[in-house]
Parts: sequence; C-alpha cells; structure tokens
Amino acid sequence: MIENRPWLKLFSHFILIAGVLIVALPVWVALVGSTQSASSFADSVPLWFGDQGVQNWSHVLFHAAGSTLQIPVWHLLLNSMIMALGITFGKIAISMISAYAIVFFRFPFRSLIFWVIFITLMLPVEVRIVPTYQVIANLNMLNSYSGLILPMIASATATFLFRQCFMSMPGELVEAARIDGAGPIRFFFDILLPMSRTNIAAMFVIMFIYGWNQYLWPLIITTDDTYYTLVMSIKNMLSVPDGDIEWNNVMVTTLLAMIPPVAVVVGMQKLFVKGLVDAEK
Amino acid sequence: MTDLVLKNIGKTYPNGYQAIPSIDLSIEEGEFIVLVGPSGCGKSTLLRMVAGLETITQGDLLIKGNRVNEKEPADRDIAMVFQNYALYPHMTVRANMAYGLKNRGVPKEERDTKVNSVATMLGLEELLDRKPNQLSGGQRQRVAMGRAMVRDPKVFLFDEPLSNLDAKLRVQMRVEIRQLQRKLATTTLYVTHDQVEAMTLADRLVVLNKGKAEQIGTPMELYNKPASTFVAAFIGSPAMNLLDAEMTEVGIKLNESLVLPLSHDYRGKMIWGIRPEHLVASDEQNGDFALQVQAVESLGAETLIHGVLVGSQQTDGSAVPLVVRLSGPHLPDIGSHLWFTAPREDWHLFDANTQQRL
Ligand SMILES: Nc1ncnc2c1ncn2[C@@H]1O[C@H](COP(=O)(O)OP(=O)(O)O)[C@@H](O)[C@H]1O
Ligand SMILES: [Mg+2]
Repeated sequence: MIENRPWLKLFSHFILIAGVLIVALPVWVALVGSTQSASSFADSVPLWFGDQGVQNWSHVLFHAAGSTLQIPVWHLLLNSMIMALGITFGKIAISMISAYAIVFFRFPFRSLIFWVIFITLMLPVEVRIVPTYQVIANLNMLNSYSGLILPMIASATATFLFRQCFMSMPGELVEAARIDGAGPIRFFFDILLPMSRTNIAAMFVIMFIYGWNQYLWPLIITTDDTYYTLVMSIKNMLSVPDGDIEWNNVMVTTLLAMIPPVAVVVGMQKLFVKGLVDAEK
Repeated sequence: MTDLVLKNIGKTYPNGYQAIPSIDLSIEEGEFIVLVGPSGCGKSTLLRMVAGLETITQGDLLIKGNRVNEKEPADRDIAMVFQNYALYPHMTVRANMAYGLKNRGVPKEERDTKVNSVATMLGLEELLDRKPNQLSGGQRQRVAMGRAMVRDPKVFLFDEPLSNLDAKLRVQMRVEIRQLQRKLATTTLYVTHDQVEAMTLADRLVVLNKGKAEQIGTPMELYNKPASTFVAAFIGSPAMNLLDAEMTEVGIKLNESLVLPLSHDYRGKMIWGIRPEHLVASDEQNGDFALQVQAVESLGAETLIHGVLVGSQQTDGSAVPLVVRLSGPHLPDIGSHLWFTAPREDWHLFDANTQQRL
C-alpha cells in the first residue's frame, strides 16, 4: 500500500517516537545512574552521566555487588548463566524426548499420559513450590546448581509445542526413514533433530529468558550467597536495613542482568530467520 | 522364479474397516505389476502391506520364498518411491540417496561409487550437492527414484509417483520409468489411479475394486476381454458404452421404444458393451442404428461424438446415451443423425445381476 498523506505520516511517527521514548527512558536512567556516586540519588533521579562510571562498574563486577552483598557480580552472572542454560537445555532435551515418545510410539495409555503432561501446564512453579522444596531439601540439593535447575526442567509447554511440531512432520518422511533402515535413535538424531532446528531455536529463546528471570525459586533454596543468582540479588540489594540503597550499584547490576537475555534474542534472531528461510517441510 | 507372492492377503484396519478382504497374486522376477483402481479402493493399503508400513492382518507375504509378514520394512529388501517424494529436506541429494546405505553400514567409498553411478544413470550428477528445495518437481521425482535404486533392492514399490507432475513431464517420466525398470530388471509393484499410466507401464495389471481384485492380466487381455463391467468401464478411454438391454429373437431390446436389429444366441437380460472406437460409421441403408449428436469433442487426430440413440426416447424423457470415437477430424451438426454399425466380434456381454462377463 502506498499512502502519501504527510500529516498521517507525521502523526504515526510521533506515536512511534513517543513509544520509543517511554520504553527507553528507564534504560536510560539505569545507564546514567550507573555512572553516578552513591550520594547523587539523595533528592532527585539524575538524567545525565556522572563521573564514577568506570569505578562503579569495575567495583560491582569484580569486587562486591554492594555493601550488603559481598560477592562480585561476575559470580552472580555465572550462577545465573549456569541456571538459565541448565534449565534451557534440560527443558529442550526432556520435552523433545517426551514429545517424541508421545507422537511416534504406540504404547498403552499414550493419550492419558499426554493429558497428564498437558494438565501440569496449569500448575505453575508457585503452586507446587512447598512440596518441591520438601523434595529438594530431602535430596540435599539446597544450595546447589542441580537444586536450582532440576525442578524447572520439565516443561509441559515445550512438550506440547514439540508435539505439534512433530505431528506436522509428513508421514511419508517418517516411512521413508523406516524403509531406509533408520531405527528410533537414528531417526531422532538424523531426521527429527535437524528438521526441528527452527523450533529448537525459538524454544531456546523463550526458555532461556524464562530460566534467567527465575526469582522465587532461587530465593527460596539458596542461603549460601555463592549460589545466588543475579535477578534475585537485585531484590536483595534493594532491601537494605535503613533504606540506604546504593542505587548506582543497583543500576550497574540491573544493566548487567539485561545483557544476556538481549544477547540471546539478538543472536538467535539471525539463526531463527535463517532457519525459516532455508527450512522446508 | 516367483519373487513376490501374496497369499490370501487381507487387511482390516484397527477401526474395524475391512479395506482388503482377500487377494492372491504371484509376481515373477523382473515383472512390472500395476495396481490400478479408483481412489479409495485399497491400492495404497496393499502396497504398504508389502512394504511393511502397514501390518498384514490376514494371509502370507513371501519375498523370494521367505515369509516376511513380521519383518521391518528395512529388512524386506524393498525400496519405495512416495507420491510426495519424501526427500529429507535438510540433506543434500547425495546424502538423501546414501542414507539407506549408510544405515546399513556400507563403507563411504562404496556409497559414493553407488550414488555416483545411479546419479549418472538418472542425469543427476549436477544436482548432487543441492538440497531438495532447490530442485524442480521432476528433479525431486528423479532423486526419489535414485534413492530407491542405489540400494539395489529385490522389489521396487511406487505409490502414485507421477501424480504431482504436470502432464508433459508425467508422460516423459512414465517412459523413463519403464526403460529403467527393463534395464534393471527389478520386480516392480506400481500403484496408480490413471488407467493410461497403468496400460502403458504394466506387464500385468491388477484392477482393484473395493479391495477386491476384479481382474489380473496383461493390458491387452483386460482391454479385449474385461471380466466385469467394472473393468470394462475402467480400462480404455473414453469408457466402454455399457447399455442395459434384453437379448430377444428380434434383436437387442434397449427399452420399450427401441430394439436394435442385432442378433445373438443369448436370451434374456444382460448388459451390452461396445467400445466407442469399435463403432463403425455407416449410412442409412447399412447402419445398425442412428445416433442423434449432442456434443462433439474434436481432438484433431480423433473425434469423440456424444449422443443418444435415435428412437430410444421414452415418455419419461430418458434416452439411451452412446459415445463414438472416430479417427480424424469430423464436424457433424448438433442434432443431426449419424448411422453406425456395431461389429459382432467387438461386443462384450455381461450378466445383468453379477456384472460378470458372459
Ligand atoms: N488408517 C486407516 N484406518 C482406517 N481406514 C483406512 C486407513 N487408511 C485407509 N483407510 C481406508 O481404506 C480404504 C483404502 O484406502 P487406500 O488404500 O489409501 O486407497 P487408495 O486406493 O486410494 O490408495 C479407504 O476407504 C480408506 O478410507
Ligand atoms: Mg493411495
């Protein structure tokens, strides 16, 4: 559609620019705030760069997140990264395997099992958090990476999406592979996995962000600060006893917490589009 | 030596639907067998049972004398070409063709040699490093055939492999498939709903109707002596004229108002069949009957004339329709009367009740 109405154009651009400003303002405040000294936040929110940038960033990243949290943020980043990647790969592996079983194998109670998995969609982590805690505590997995990762690793959503993806595979292709002598394992790795790569990429993005943003669960099961994750630590830095929040450090940490998800989205977008372009079913 | 034997083979689907009651067929080594029939008659079901993709619920399937009912498709020494080609989209042509060999543990050099020789035979050398989505329909078809050929199986199975191609390519591939099969001398079971494809390819045809084999024979046997009205109508284009009639002393009584002065020893109700190409143009003195022209299809080399028998018009308005095929161009006026004779040796008589050949 080719429209040539200058006022309409101006108006729509105005809306777009306003939208960008509204969305970008908090990021800007965080960026600017991360370069201020701790005292600059006393009466107003600074809107321009201060002179403490390098100092704040290196302190937070390599020494301590703040006066209450004596652990460098690189360590928190590492913890978050391990948890998020563990959850992502775990979820993808488990849900692909369960979807594989449900779609391609005939066994008793197949649809019952599918529905049971499907129903767990309606039970978010928060609902089952007490029993889950009990189980993890009994397994001595409090304050450990496996404790952070394992309870999050099963995903009904991902199983459901992979099921849909596998069901859209042409039946002839499955049969051709059977005639070509591909057993279940070969079929999975040689045919199914490469053909689902766009779905895996999409799932990776969604699940990484989900894992990265986990808050309640790490907060509950970690008491040892060497297992703290970045997202829960920000809340930790905000709840200081006498309300003397080190906003400059918080801002640095917040920005650092944003980088990995943004990187995943930007990085995977390319693969995602590439996958869409040359994949054909 | 018989290569493939179907003994009393039947299929009932898990939902209770009996797709194939019972079929017996034995196929010689190197024979090209075509299964033909209208959509839904059970052709794919039968082929897929031979392939091992569908369980056999009754009877025995023997390949080279061994019962293979319970064997996995990969262990039956068969190769199949699918209607939608079923090429692996993420693999190159080379990898597609070599995949079956790879799974069977054939060493890399041997795989390459085999793939290259088949690619040369099919003219695919240039395309070996492409992905399926970079190929035309005809090329994909060829790759699918190549994939079946590299394994050098005992039996080739084809399920309507040409139905996704345009008319011209279809004719070309048909000829090519026939030549390749002759050259390789591999026993072949080929499914199609297209009777022209069936007639031109087959050593022997199996005409299926609702899961039953109506007739098994060479294309000419089926054309010259169709065993039932179903086969008569299915084989040949345009279809044979089949007229409900009664054979009487005075001739063939088509309905209350028309009796053709054609005599035969048979007496009673029957179905009178005559192919459109067997009717001979005549004139008022010598003709057996007249046709009132209703529509003319001129194809240049031949002309199809659709009409009704003059004098067969009944009080309820119904008249007996007939199709005639004449060679060369003809341009009769619509509504005009043309005279024809129906030579005795070209008649086909079928029982009115059982629809079987008399
Ligand atoms: N999985 C199935 N379950 C039940 N009925 C089936 C199944 N597959 C095919 N049929 C039925 O069996 C009959 C023969 O099908 P098919 O062999 O595919 O016919 P075609 O001759 O067109 O290849 C059809 O009536 C079809 O509806
Ligand atoms: Mg079919």
